[in-house]
Amino acid sequence: MSAVYTTDEYGRPFIIVREQDKKARTTGIEATKAHIMAAKTVANIVRTSLGPRGLDKILISPDGDITISNDGATIMSQMAIENQIGRLLVELSKSQDDEIGDGTTGIVVLAGALLEEAEELLDRGIHPIRISDGFEQACKLAVAHLDKVSDVIPWSKDNTSDLFKCAKTSLGSKIVNKCHDQFAQIAVDAILAVADLERKDVDFELIKMEGKVGGELADTELVRGVIIDKDFSHPQMPKEVKDAKIAILTCPFEPPKPKTKHKLDITSVKEFEELQKFERDAFEGMVRRVKECGANIVACQWGFDDEANSLLLQHKLPAIRWVGGPEVELLAIATNGRIVPRFEDLSSEKLGYAGTIREVTYGTTNESMIVVEDCANSKAVTVFVRGGNKMIVDEAKRSLHDAMCVVRNLIVDNRVVYGGAAAEISCSIAVDKAADQVSSIEQYAMRSFARALDAIPMALAENSGLPPIETLSFVKSQQIKQGITSLGVDCMDTGIHDMKEQFVFDPLISKRQQFLLATQLVKMILKIDDVIVHRADEE
Amino acid sequence: MPPRRSLWAIYKGIEPRHRVLLGMGFMGFSMLGIWVSDRLEKRFPAPADSRVTHRAPANAARPHATTTTQNYYPEPGRQAAMAGRGPQMPMMQPQVIVLKEGTDTSQGMPQLLSNISACIAVCDTIRTTLGPRGMDKLIVDSQKRVTISNDGATIMKLLDVVQPAARTLVDIARAQDAEVGDGTTSVVLLAGELLKEVREYIEEGVGAQVIIKGLRKAADLAIDHIRELAVSVDRSDAAEFRALLEKCAATSMNSKLIGSQKEFFTKIVVDAVMRLDQEELNEDMIGIKKIPGGAMQDSLLVDGVAFKKSFSYAGFEQQPKAFDSPTIVCLNVELELKAEKDNAEVRVDKVSEYQAVVDAEWKIIFDKLDSIVAAGANVVLSRLPIGDLATQYFADRNIFCAGRVSKDDLDRVCEATGCRVQSTTTGLTAAHLGTCERFEERQVGGQRFNIFRGCPRAKTCTIILRGGAEQFIDEVERSLHDSIMVVRRAVKNQAVVAGGGSIEMELSRYLREAARQIEGKQQLIISAAARALEVIPRQLCENAGFDTTDFITQLRARHAQDPKRFRWHGVDIDEEAVADMFAKFVWEPAVVKINAISSAVEAACLVLSVDETVTSQRAQDPMANAQPAPGRGRGMPMMG
Repeated sequence: MSAVYTTDEYGRPFIIVREQDKKARTTGIEATKAHIMAAKTVANIVRTSLGPRGLDKILISPDGDITISNDGATIMSQMAIENQIGRLLVELSKSQDDEIGDGTTGIVVLAGALLEEAEELLDRGIHPIRISDGFEQACKLAVAHLDKVSDVIPWSKDNTSDLFKCAKTSLGSKIVNKCHDQFAQIAVDAILAVADLERKDVDFELIKMEGKVGGELADTELVRGVIIDKDFSHPQMPKEVKDAKIAILTCPFEPPKPKTKHKLDITSVKEFEELQKFERDAFEGMVRRVKECGANIVACQWGFDDEANSLLLQHKLPAIRWVGGPEVELLAIATNGRIVPRFEDLSSEKLGYAGTIREVTYGTTNESMIVVEDCANSKAVTVFVRGGNKMIVDEAKRSLHDAMCVVRNLIVDNRVVYGGAAAEISCSIAVDKAADQVSSIEQYAMRSFARALDAIPMALAENSGLPPIETLSFVKSQQIKQGITSLGVDCMDTGIHDMKEQFVFDPLISKRQQFLLATQLVKMILKIDDVIVHRADEE
Repeated sequence: MPPRRSLWAIYKGIEPRHRVLLGMGFMGFSMLGIWVSDRLEKRFPAPADSRVTHRAPANAARPHATTTTQNYYPEPGRQAAMAGRGPQMPMMQPQVIVLKEGTDTSQGMPQLLSNISACIAVCDTIRTTLGPRGMDKLIVDSQKRVTISNDGATIMKLLDVVQPAARTLVDIARAQDAEVGDGTTSVVLLAGELLKEVREYIEEGVGAQVIIKGLRKAADLAIDHIRELAVSVDRSDAAEFRALLEKCAATSMNSKLIGSQKEFFTKIVVDAVMRLDQEELNEDMIGIKKIPGGAMQDSLLVDGVAFKKSFSYAGFEQQPKAFDSPTIVCLNVELELKAEKDNAEVRVDKVSEYQAVVDAEWKIIFDKLDSIVAAGANVVLSRLPIGDLATQYFADRNIFCAGRVSKDDLDRVCEATGCRVQSTTTGLTAAHLGTCERFEERQVGGQRFNIFRGCPRAKTCTIILRGGAEQFIDEVERSLHDSIMVVRRAVKNQAVVAGGGSIEMELSRYLREAARQIEGKQQLIISAAARALEVIPRQLCENAGFDTTDFITQLRARHAQDPKRFRWHGVDIDEEAVADMFAKFVWEPAVVKINAISSAVEAACLVLSVDETVTSQRAQDPMANAQPAPGRGRGMPMMG
C-alpha cells in the first residue's frame, strides 16, 4: 500500500491505516483495467450460452450437487465468483432475473462488451468519466430508439398466439425446446389463469412448480388446481374423492394440549383410565365435528397418530397429513376454503370445494401425489414437470419460469421488439448515426457503445455456427438498405432474416432494462479508480 | 521491515513453553552480566565516574535521545525497531522507568512533521473523489463486504485509520457528515492542504501556536467573508425557493453515481424534504427502501409509507390486499398462540381440567383478536409476530395483517396515519386507529410491498430505490442522504454560495489581500491559508484532467482583476472553461462551506498543537508496538 506508507524524518515507518500490510491496493487506470479484465472473463463464460443454439454449462457445487443450466442468472450465481467486479456482474444478472426474469445472459454479455470497448478508449487516454458520460448518452438514445422500433402485439384471453410466440422465443435456447410448443403453451396458460387482467398484476405465488423425476419432458402438464406431494394417510382410504368438500386444518388430531408447560400426576389406575377415555373422547369428538360439518376429506397441516388414523378410516374420512404451510395456503385459495385453526371453529361454510381429489402413483416407484382438480377457484395452478433426471427437471423448471416471466411482462406491457439481435443491430445503427452529430469527446464513447451492441449479434451468430462478422455486416447492410428494423440473425438457418416472419419476439421492457442496467453497471465500474482490499486473515 | 518480521515469526513459531524458557534464559544471562559487571566495577573503579556527562545529549532534534523509557532487557523485535532511532544508549546508564514498558512515545517537532505527513497521506487517498469527474473507491473489508463509494465520510470510515493525528481527519469528515451531510471530501482535503502549506513554517521553526493563531484568524476572516457574499433567496416565493433547493441538491449529486440522473433525483429529494414537517425536518421520517433490480430511473417516491411484505403465515394470501380509506391499527403485541409465561408450569389435577386450561389459553388470544375486530380495524400491523392462527382469523374477517414490521417503519406509519402504537389490545377503540386514502400490496421488482398512500398527516414519505446491484443502490442511498441533508440545511438557512471552486478562489483572494495589511508572521500564515483554499478548484481540474496551472492562474487573475464582476467564477467542468458558476446554477448552501472551513481549520490546529504522542501498549501484546496485533480491529465498533 505504497501511497499511505509513510516514513518520518528519521526513516522510521509509521502506520496510518490499521493492518496496513494486510491490505492490497490498486489505483488509477491500473485498477480500472483490472476490473475490465475481470468482467470480460466472467462475460466470456456465459457468452456461449446465448441464443437458441447456445450451449449449457454444468456446475458442480461444493456438496457435489450438479446443475446443468443455460440460464445466465443461474450460472452466474452458482459460479461462486470471488472477484468483486465479477460479483457485481452476478448481481446484475440477478436483478435482471428478479425484475424481468429473462435476458439474464444477454445483459452480462452486453456489460462485458461495453467494458471491452471502454478499455480501448482508456488506452487512447480518454477520461473514464467522459467515457461513462458518453455511454449514458448513447444508452438514452438506444432506449428511445427501442421505443421507436417496438411493435404492439395484440392479445386477449382468447387470442394468445402472440404471447405463445414470445414464450417460444424465450424457451428457444433452453433444453426443453424438444417440446417447444407444449412448454410455451403451458407458460401462457398458467400465466393467464392467475393473471389479474384489470390490474395487470400477476402473482407468481399462485403458480406452483412441482417436479418429479421419471417419465419424459413431454409428460409435463399444467394442472388447474393443486398438487400436493403427499399421500392419503391410510393405505385403505379411497384413492379418489369426487365432489370433495375439504376441511383444511392447522391443528393436529390429538388431544388438546396447553402451550404452557404443564404436568399431570397420575396416581391411580382409575385416573389413568380416565385419561385414556378423555383422549378417546377427544378423538371421537374431533372426527364427529368434521363429519357434522359435512366434510368428506381432511387436509391437516400436522400429523396424527395411528389411533386417529384408524378412527378416520372407520368413519370413511380420507385424510392427508403433514401438508406444508404454503401448500395449505394454496389449497385454501384453490378450493375457496378457509383454514381452520381448531375443531371448534369448523362449519360447513369454511369447507373448500374441489371436483376431484385423487392420489396418483407414478411409474413403478412407490411415490404418489395428490392431485386436486376442478377447484372452486381456478386462480391457483400447478405446473407438473417430468423429466428423465433431476438436472433436466430443474432446468425445465427454470426455463418455464423464464418463459412465464416473459408472458407476464407482456401482460404488463404488450410492446415487443424483435429478437435475433434485430433490436440491438438497429439501435447500434441509430447510435452510430447520432454519434456523428456530437461535438465533444463523448462521440467516441458513443461509437464504442454502438460497437458493444454489435457484440450480441456476433455472439449469437458465433454460437449458431455462422460466420459472425459476415453475418453481422450482412444484416446491418440489409437493415440500412431496406429500412426494416426487424431483420436479425437467422440462428436457426431457416433462410428468413425477418424476425417478424420468424416470430421471434422479446418484450420491450426486457430489452430496455438490459440496456439501462448494463450501462449503469459499466458506469459504476468505470468510476472506480482505487481498490482497497483487506486480505483474508491467514490465521 | 522484513528482518524484524521474520524474527518475530520465528519467535512466534516456538512453542510457548520454550518461549518462557528462552525468556528466562535471557533474564538469567543478563542478571549474571549485571552482577559480574558490578563486581568488576567495584574491583577496578573508573578514574572519573562520568555517568552524568553521558546524559547530556548533543542533538536536541533527535527524538528519542531524551526518552526516559529504556528497558534493561529489550526483546529482539523492540531492539530492531529502536535501531533506527539513533545510536544505542551507552550500556551502563542508570535508568529511570517512568512509563510502562512498551509504551511508545514520540515527541517534538519531528513528531509534528510526521503527523502532518500522515494527514497528507490520508488526504491523498480521497483526493480523487472530489467533483463531478471524481472517481469512486472500491473497498473490500475483512469480511468481504464490498463498498463502492464517492462519499468522503464513508471512505474515511472504511479506511480504518489508526494513526492518531490522521484520525482527526476521519473525525472531521464524520462531523461534517453529521452536521451538514455534504462536503465531506472537501473538508478533509482542506485540512490536509492547510497542514501542507504550514509545514514549511514548522520546518523553519515557527512556533506551532503562532501558526494556530494565524489559521484561526484566517478562518474567522473567511467565514465573515462568506456571510457577506452569500446570496439569500426569499422564502416567500415558493417557486424560487424550490428552485434554490433543487439547485443545491443537484450540486451535491454532481460528483456521485447518480450525477447523470440528477434532474430526476433532485425532484425526488426536494419533494421528500418538502413533505416533512417544515419545523422539525426530521430526516428519519424519510424512509429509504432498496430493491435490487430495475434501473435507477425506476426509483419512486411514495407520499406515505411503504415497506416490504414481512414473513407471512398460511392464510395470508386469502386476506384482502387493497383497501380504500382503511382503518389502521399499530400494535406492539404478539398475536400468537403460545405459552404466556415461559417459566410457568400448570399442574393439572384432573383430566377434565385439561380442556379448561386449553380453552383458557385460546381465550387469551381470541380476546385480543376480538377486541381488534371490535375496534373496527381492517389493517393490523404489529412489531411482534402475528402467528398463523391470527393470520387465518383475520383472513376470515377480511382484515389485512402484517407482523414483524420494523420499528422505524411502524413509527412512520403512525406519523403518517395518525395512530399510536398500542402495547395492549384491551380498551382498543376506534379513536386509536389511523387512516389513509389507500392501502395496497403491490409488486415492486421481485418483492411485494405494502404501500400506504394519501395519508392525512403526510409528514413522512418513502423513497424506493432501484438499481442493478446492491452496492449500486447503497451508493445511491448515500448520495441521496447527502442531498437530503443539504436540502434540509437549505430549507432552514437560505443563504447560498456558488460551487465549482469559485467561493474558494474568492476567499483565497480576499485572504491574500487581508494578509498584506497584517504585520508579522501572521501575514505569512494567512497567505498560506489563502493558498490552501485553492486546493478545491485545483483538485477539481486535476480530477477532470484539465491543465491545473492554467486554470488556477486564470482564476486567480480574474478574481484579482475585478472581484465584483468575477466573484463567482470557478471551474466549469462540462465546458472545460472558467465560467460564472452562479449563473450556471452550481449552488451550495453557505453553511456547508462555513462548516467545512471552520472544521478544517479546527482539525489542522488540533494536529499542530500536538507535540507528543504517548501510545499505551495493550497488556497482552507488548511486542506489537508499532503495529497493532493481527486479528484485532474487526471487533472494533464501526463509527457510524
